[in-house]
Amino acid sequence: MRRVSLFVPCLVDLFLPEIGEAAVALLSRLGVEVVYHEAQTCCGQPAINAGYLPQARKVARHFLKVFGEDEAIVSPAGSCVVTVKRHYPELFADEPDWLARAESLAPRVYELSQYLVDVLGVEDVGATFGGKIAYHEACHVLRGLGVSEQPKKLIRAVAGAELVPLNAADACCGFGGEFSLHYPDISEVLVAEKAANFINSQADALVLCEPGCFLNISGYLHRHHPEKKVFHLATLLAGNGKGVRA
Amino acid sequence: MKIRTEQFVEIAREEMKNTRSKAFLGLLPPVINAMRQISLATFPDPDAAQAYGAAIRGEVVTRLPELLEEFERNATARGTKVVWARTAAEANAFVLDLAKKKGVAYVTKGKSMLSEEIGLNDALIDNGVDAIETDLGEFIIQLLKRPPFHLIGPAVNIAVEEVRDLFMEKGILAEPTEDPVALGYAARLHLRDKFHRLEMGVTGVNMAVAETGTIVNVENEGNIRFAKSSPRTQVSIMSLEKVVPTMADALHMIRLLCRNGTGQKMASYISFDTGPRAAGAIDGPEEVYCVIVDNGRADLYDDPVARDVFRCIRCGACANICPVYTKIGGYPYGWAYTGPMGQLLNPLLLGFSGTSDLFRACTLCGVCKSVCPAGVDHPRMFLYYRARDAAGDPKLRSRGRPLKERTLYDLFAWGATHPRLWRQGAKRMRPRVNRDARDGYLSRSVDSLDGWFRSRDLPEMAEKTFQERWKEREGRKANA
Repeated sequence: MRRVSLFVPCLVDLFLPEIGEAAVALLSRLGVEVVYHEAQTCCGQPAINAGYLPQARKVARHFLKVFGEDEAIVSPAGSCVVTVKRHYPELFADEPDWLARAESLAPRVYELSQYLVDVLGVEDVGATFGGKIAYHEACHVLRGLGVSEQPKKLIRAVAGAELVPLNAADACCGFGGEFSLHYPDISEVLVAEKAANFINSQADALVLCEPGCFLNISGYLHRHHPEKKVFHLATLLAGNGKGVRA
Repeated sequence: MKIRTEQFVEIAREEMKNTRSKAFLGLLPPVINAMRQISLATFPDPDAAQAYGAAIRGEVVTRLPELLEEFERNATARGTKVVWARTAAEANAFVLDLAKKKGVAYVTKGKSMLSEEIGLNDALIDNGVDAIETDLGEFIIQLLKRPPFHLIGPAVNIAVEEVRDLFMEKGILAEPTEDPVALGYAARLHLRDKFHRLEMGVTGVNMAVAETGTIVNVENEGNIRFAKSSPRTQVSIMSLEKVVPTMADALHMIRLLCRNGTGQKMASYISFDTGPRAAGAIDGPEEVYCVIVDNGRADLYDDPVARDVFRCIRCGACANICPVYTKIGGYPYGWAYTGPMGQLLNPLLLGFSGTSDLFRACTLCGVCKSVCPAGVDHPRMFLYYRARDAAGDPKLRSRGRPLKERTLYDLFAWGATHPRLWRQGAKRMRPRVNRDARDGYLSRSVDSLDGWFRSRDLPEMAEKTFQERWKEREGRKANA
């Protein structure tokens, strides 16, 4: 039996635990044993993005200690995966021991859809959904990890779902972590455009692989177009559709 | 040129309300991006062509000092007088002094970002030598006294009616018209007259070829060719990263510059000039000067990350596709360079204090990097700038960050390395954060998150975190 260690990013842990549960349900259904380390906290991405590298290094060392022995680490958050895979080795450029640990861990970390399609070789996970789906290409998933076909393959294989084109699918939604707090005017224009493109796509739901974009887009829609639904891919694929507050 | 980088947020806010800027930004960047795609597709392997460009620019950065020396040797051998200027003031003083020595009343200018950077026009005009921009866009913004809106289209946002009124007021236009062709013709007549009696022309440089000493200019209006060929004295000003090793490298970079900048396979005019008029030749300047301007760059050369900014070839592809630039336009960047490359270059040249919005107002989406033909990794550099700024690096003229912010990240790091306290902290925060929740959502500001709540709601903190749910589940499994 395959076994994966689930890395639940802090936004999911604190605000969107259903996404984590969906990932567990989905992996279990596919015959994968899921381990969860209770000592996990955050990958340190906020500190890296804000420029606080000594602080980020502390958090990264904790992460490496917690996940260091795992064969495969899977996360429903593209940007956190990018942090571990790409930024950890950069953080420890001058610390050979930690650099070795970071470099050894990097290839074992997967974004969820990447793990399902590239490692398990699964596309049809047995999920159902009645309606049209638009897929938002989250920046870190698309350009950070080069993951784009994997989620689309998974969506196309969902029974009853139709993947429809989304204009400017690969345009940033304006989240950018602290960017959304410090530059709210610009952020708002970007998320409004993303929402408009979603609405114009006529899709019943917008699906994505990034909790940050999820909070941003669904938070905007909740205020302005509360009837519009956003799903994390894990939720769509777990097939229950319940418990999602979009 | 006036530095307004500190007003980034305010100018951005104004510009996002400016209907003219909005209309332009909604229209042109998508068209240019599409043309860029089409023109890049004429390469047998577009990705390989871009990667080749990145490799050339990488070589330039690595070998910069020796390439500049090689360029100087070969340019000098062909009769060009190479002048080194350490600062903007030195560069301006040289050009002014030369103009005075030659006794000219005016010089014509070819579009040059470096000229904006060093403030050459003001330096000349304030000292009695008129500087006349001859690129139509630069000509317009010079008359309007406005900064460039875009790297390669400085006046693309100016309405035709405004150009009409401006040309009428300046006596360039005889009868009012909004016909762009007629307006262009009027400007051409006006400028052609300046070229006819030209004593001294000043232009920028797109590439300086080390192996031949050749100066390359890429343009669509022919004004640079005029400014380079019709005066007795011709001055090319270049920042030191414009050098390329070989003519083959220059040709490849030209192909990339045109495709990435304007979506053209080739610009209308590409000039290769090596030295002054040769003996027996019928035209060309009698004297050619090449002023190589440092203006703070050499000091950055030891910085292995920051110096990657010298890869940039000023095509502007990053701006045309940047989610932020395409919403706010060029003015908020507050200085000579706009868009993502301006976010990288302006802070390095001006210092971090007063420019930190430039490298923070970025979502790190990485689309700039994905289109760059020179191998600039903008997001990586923004992260590096933020880190140097948080560390208060004096070399980059950073004043450091507020203590409150540092304390916040200290606390974050401490919490994230103490899992039990992290959990307890979350638990304790929950009632406070969720205080004003309605139907599972927060709509009102919590602590310092008002930026978020201006346009968005936030799900309340979950009743139980994932971890709590997992523990319960494991407990149930153990009991089953």
